[in-house]
Amino acid sequence: MSDTLTAPASPAAESDHGHGVVHDTNTGISNEKLGMWVFLGSDCMLFGGLISTYLLYKNRPLAPGVTGSTERISEVFDIAFTSASSFVLLMSSLAMVLAVTSIARGDHHRLRLWLGTTAFLGAIFIGGQVYEFTEFVREGFGYTTNVSASAFFTLTGFHGVHVTFGILMLLTLMVLSFKGRIPQSKSEAVEIVGLYWHFVDVVWILIFTVVYLIP
Amino acid sequence: MTIVEPEKTNLPATVDPEGSPGQLVPATDGADTSRPLGVFTRPTGGSGWRSWITTVDHKRIGIMYSCTAMVFFIVGGVEALLIRTQLAAPEQRLLSADLYNQVFTMHGVTMIFLFIMPFAAGLMNYLIPLQIGARDVAFPRLNALSYWIYLFGAIFVNSSWFLGGGADGGWFNYAPNSSVVFSPSHGIDFYAVGLQIVGLASLIGSINLIVTIFNLRAPGMTWWRMPTTTWMSLVTQMLLAFAVPVISVALFLLTFDRRFGATFFDASAGGDPFLWQHLFWIFGHPEVYIILMPAFGMVSDIIPVFSRKPLFGYRFVIFSGIAIGFLGFGVWAHHMFASGIGPMSVTAFSLATMFIAVPTGVKVLNWMATMWGGRIRMTVPMLYSIAFVAMFTIGGLSGVTHAFASADTQQTDTYYIVAHFHYVIFGGGVLGFLAATYFWFPKIFGYMLDEKVGKVAFWFVLIGFNATFGPMHVLGMEGMSRRIFTYSDYQGFNLWNLVATIGAYTMAIGVALFLYNVYSSYKAHKANPVDVGPDPWDARTLEWTIPSPTPEYNFDPIPTVHELDEAWYLKYGHDEDGRPVKIADIEDVAQKGDSVGVHLPSPSYQPILVAAGMPFLGYGVIFNLWFAVLGGALMIAGMVGWALEPPDDVDTPHDEHHDGDPSDDAPAEPVDSSVDEATDGETNDEAEATSATEEPANV
Amino acid sequence: MNLLSHLPSPVRRTVHGVIGAAFVLALASCGNQDTYPLTTLSPKGEQADTIHTLVKPIFAIAGVVFVLVQVIILVIVVKFRKRKDEVDGEGEPVQIHGNTPLELTWTALPALLLAGLGVFNVQTIFELENRAPDAIEIDVYGQQWWWEYRYDLDNDDSPDIITANQMVIPAGRQVELNIRSRDVIHSFWIPALNGKMDATPGSTHFMAINANEPGIYEGQCTEFCGLSHGYMRMEVKALPEAEYEQWLTAQQAPPAEPGNELAEEGRTTFLSQCAYCHQVNGLTSDGEYTNDGPVEDYQGLDGAAVPTVRPGVAPNLTHLMSRERFAGNMFPLYYEDGTPDEGALKEWLTDPEAMKPMMPDNLQGMPNLNLDPATVDALVAYLLTLD
Repeated sequence: MSDTLTAPASPAAESDHGHGVVHDTNTGISNEKLGMWVFLGSDCMLFGGLISTYLLYKNRPLAPGVTGSTERISEVFDIAFTSASSFVLLMSSLAMVLAVTSIARGDHHRLRLWLGTTAFLGAIFIGGQVYEFTEFVREGFGYTTNVSASAFFTLTGFHGVHVTFGILMLLTLMVLSFKGRIPQSKSEAVEIVGLYWHFVDVVWILIFTVVYLIP
Repeated sequence: MTIVEPEKTNLPATVDPEGSPGQLVPATDGADTSRPLGVFTRPTGGSGWRSWITTVDHKRIGIMYSCTAMVFFIVGGVEALLIRTQLAAPEQRLLSADLYNQVFTMHGVTMIFLFIMPFAAGLMNYLIPLQIGARDVAFPRLNALSYWIYLFGAIFVNSSWFLGGGADGGWFNYAPNSSVVFSPSHGIDFYAVGLQIVGLASLIGSINLIVTIFNLRAPGMTWWRMPTTTWMSLVTQMLLAFAVPVISVALFLLTFDRRFGATFFDASAGGDPFLWQHLFWIFGHPEVYIILMPAFGMVSDIIPVFSRKPLFGYRFVIFSGIAIGFLGFGVWAHHMFASGIGPMSVTAFSLATMFIAVPTGVKVLNWMATMWGGRIRMTVPMLYSIAFVAMFTIGGLSGVTHAFASADTQQTDTYYIVAHFHYVIFGGGVLGFLAATYFWFPKIFGYMLDEKVGKVAFWFVLIGFNATFGPMHVLGMEGMSRRIFTYSDYQGFNLWNLVATIGAYTMAIGVALFLYNVYSSYKAHKANPVDVGPDPWDARTLEWTIPSPTPEYNFDPIPTVHELDEAWYLKYGHDEDGRPVKIADIEDVAQKGDSVGVHLPSPSYQPILVAAGMPFLGYGVIFNLWFAVLGGALMIAGMVGWALEPPDDVDTPHDEHHDGDPSDDAPAEPVDSSVDEATDGETNDEAEATSATEEPANV
Repeated sequence: MNLLSHLPSPVRRTVHGVIGAAFVLALASCGNQDTYPLTTLSPKGEQADTIHTLVKPIFAIAGVVFVLVQVIILVIVVKFRKRKDEVDGEGEPVQIHGNTPLELTWTALPALLLAGLGVFNVQTIFELENRAPDAIEIDVYGQQWWWEYRYDLDNDDSPDIITANQMVIPAGRQVELNIRSRDVIHSFWIPALNGKMDATPGSTHFMAINANEPGIYEGQCTEFCGLSHGYMRMEVKALPEAEYEQWLTAQQAPPAEPGNELAEEGRTTFLSQCAYCHQVNGLTSDGEYTNDGPVEDYQGLDGAAVPTVRPGVAPNLTHLMSRERFAGNMFPLYYEDGTPDEGALKEWLTDPEAMKPMMPDNLQGMPNLNLDPATVDALVAYLLTLD
């Protein structure tokens, strides 16, 4: 099993090789991409912990008498609205895919277009989340209203922070692209940000299902 | 620890015009002029302290990691002595109850998070690239970032002493005793935020080292030719990558409880104290193996050298390590047998815990089998290694006695447990790391530690260790509870507590002698330099085929590996009985270390800048948000600088340095490019953007 | 023993000798309950016996493995040590890389051994969960830094006896504890009777004890619970069945009337200074006794709002002098000859924090009320009547 995993004996490759070329690492995957994979694996544990926390607390406090409202945060969910913003986030993943294929073809113009679209859709999602949060607060569910509210805001808040950092990465890519610093040969950077973006999307689908759809 | 002066370690500074013969002419010099973004030029290194704070060299980072950890070993050791002095006799009030609680909490926190983990991280950082034949780690700047975050995080945690007192809830900080209601001082805020920071350092380090091991092995360095140190480090880093986020969640929840009025752990508001326990121990149990696994690996590399036999059952040792890694995630609730989690859960976790003893036992037996039939040279590293096997076995066995859940309800939270985990963590971890320090010291610094002083220190440490923690088994069975600031005369704990205290001071003498050894050996080396050669121990693994101290570029050319124990097989063949026959002197087969112009990643200001912002974020959360603004600004400046920093020496041709005979190892040709990939890859602009911006996602 | 003569240094010999001997001696000696009141090796109750039955063979097996491993290591060190006359390159060890059957054997054997022991492990876990039909139930509350016990004798969900620190049980009958906490996590542990069980806020945990014979069995809180964790102790007093019945009757009796003027004065002080936290059953603000039972949710005299006191109660003092110790079972109420130790109580009332670390400013523990000596004398005189 092992021998195939050593450094491949491919010709010495310089940094100008194109997308899809096997990297001269033992795994054939570039360091950055592998690092992103490990990071995302690690991040799964973070969301795992936060989702578990929400599941534990979503129906608490159970009894009156303890401090905090006994109403559940799930009672004020606006499923239709959140479905729409989830759809927007889902579409942003599509735009991300198109950005990656654009740069693979060397189409810098489309790359910027799709990166921009992805960031824009992500920003709409974040805007939706901000709107949703303010609505909840207006309906009496603040961060400290009760433990279910705290768990909800913590979980979705951490996801929102992840999306925000994703948007920042996309914008950075755009800036670099305008400066001409993303030649076709370095398309992998877009791919790696794409990995992150899809991960954040998948996590949202999980959160949407577990938090919003399952009563 | 300033005993080892940076410039005097013989590690060539990145730019060292007066470098000794054979050192490289830094390739960074010529590249300055054509930088695309002039403001963000990368430092050229310089010499002295400046070259250390901008370094991205895994060896220097490793040295800084371990030396900083040694400082905190002393801090934690002083705390330990305070504890032992207080408990030397009944009803003593050297420390008030409040101070005592802070001291034992900070002792645990310091020793685990600020000493033993980073000390191991330093060794791993130094050794992994050398053992797999790489020129650096996969992400050199992230590596520097990891160290600086650790340093600032550690300072942050300890600054609590001057800002209202340390954490006082025990290192495990069970909720709700850790809530602001029951612990109104800021100590636990420092704990929560500080461990978050230090945890981030571990996480970054783990991603870096995992990718390094997966991607940067020299040609021929297959999985089954990888030295055990590297293997066990890989398991360790995997554990870290998956365990750290869990404690992060717990610490976030704790911080939100304490600072922002959430009630995650407040039962009176519907919170659940068990959530903390589960989250903490889902991290906390793998943490034990995070501490031990590197020591397992290092001892597995040391014992064969001094037994002059290969490691017995190499693959079994590896597989048992992997098995421990997996099982380690499934046994956390054995810390909670008396927590009231119900008999079904107790049964499941109790059985799982019993079986984790199997792979652990396999390792011990393999170490003994390695020594069996060998010709054992009783050097200091070997003494520590043997002591490691003997002492760790004791800790392992006492561990089995409380895998039995009912037995554990008598033992848990008594001094029996204190004895157990010190036999595991000190007897296993620290003795292993001391063995490693003596063993790899000549490789790192180019001179040997004195064997005579080393042996005296060893016996002080070993005897002191047993005198301290051996009696604690007895105290625990006599019913002495943990974490009590004093005990009563009539309870019968007097004698063994006194013995333990004397033992602790004996151990302290041993540690002091170790430090003196480092100092005096350095002095002796200065006065009368002796070339230790590439391989002073007649050792087995790849790092012994390069000069000592390691040249800055590690390997040139990158070797092609043909065997597990590559260095050994370069030196020895075998006769028909399977006995080794010398075929070459290491001096003839080792690399010469005389390459010039090797392409290496440039130093960078950004890691220390980004890391320096972190404690201010922490102070912001605790005291005043304006601190956070300051910290955030620092970090953003660092990250922007990071993203826009020019790729290092783009204009330096990569192939100039092949002045060695290329026919030497023709198949190695492609590998050079793999190393270039290692260094280039990290500095691709877009990748910069990625790595720079992905980090905060986890903050 | 000629192996020892090859030992590398006399130090090693001494070390191993001394440590070995010390351990044997220590283990043999720490089972004595008189010298070691908290020892885990001298079980005096059914559950502790059950645990000890499991522990003994485990310790024996672990001990055998321990000796075996250490001896083998010694043998290795002695036998395979490089001798002075051995030259590198001549007669070097055969390079053995391993032995798969051997490896599999020493993987499988311990696994099988542990699987066998696992059966007993599981058995014991469930044995300790056994409930008895005639068991007495006691509600146990952990609180910073003392324990409260509540006896509901008529099963009407309101306690008939509330007492602190010293739990009284009949010997030879199973007692089932419902362990709870009012603030942080504590752990209830009477080593002679059973293992530990955490008292966690928000949950109730079950533990059974059953003392074989009458006696006093000491305990110590074993989950770190803040400042005075070390001074949070407790004890179980097992009485013969008849004496237990007497104790039940005595505890349900109303508190004694102060017999003299000084005690009368003390009661007045008690009402004005202590009754906001400490309950004496049925005592009203005018010094009269209106009923004879303890108030379950005592919030200070006549329901006086004491919102700052968390969680609102201090030890019930109705029959203080029936106990042996006070303040988290720390300080004796009696001299060894049985006369009350007024001095300790006076010291406590004068400056409680000097005796036991507490944080009254943070509502943890008893505050210093700055009483003058005469008031303290009167108070103690009153407390002494509460038998």
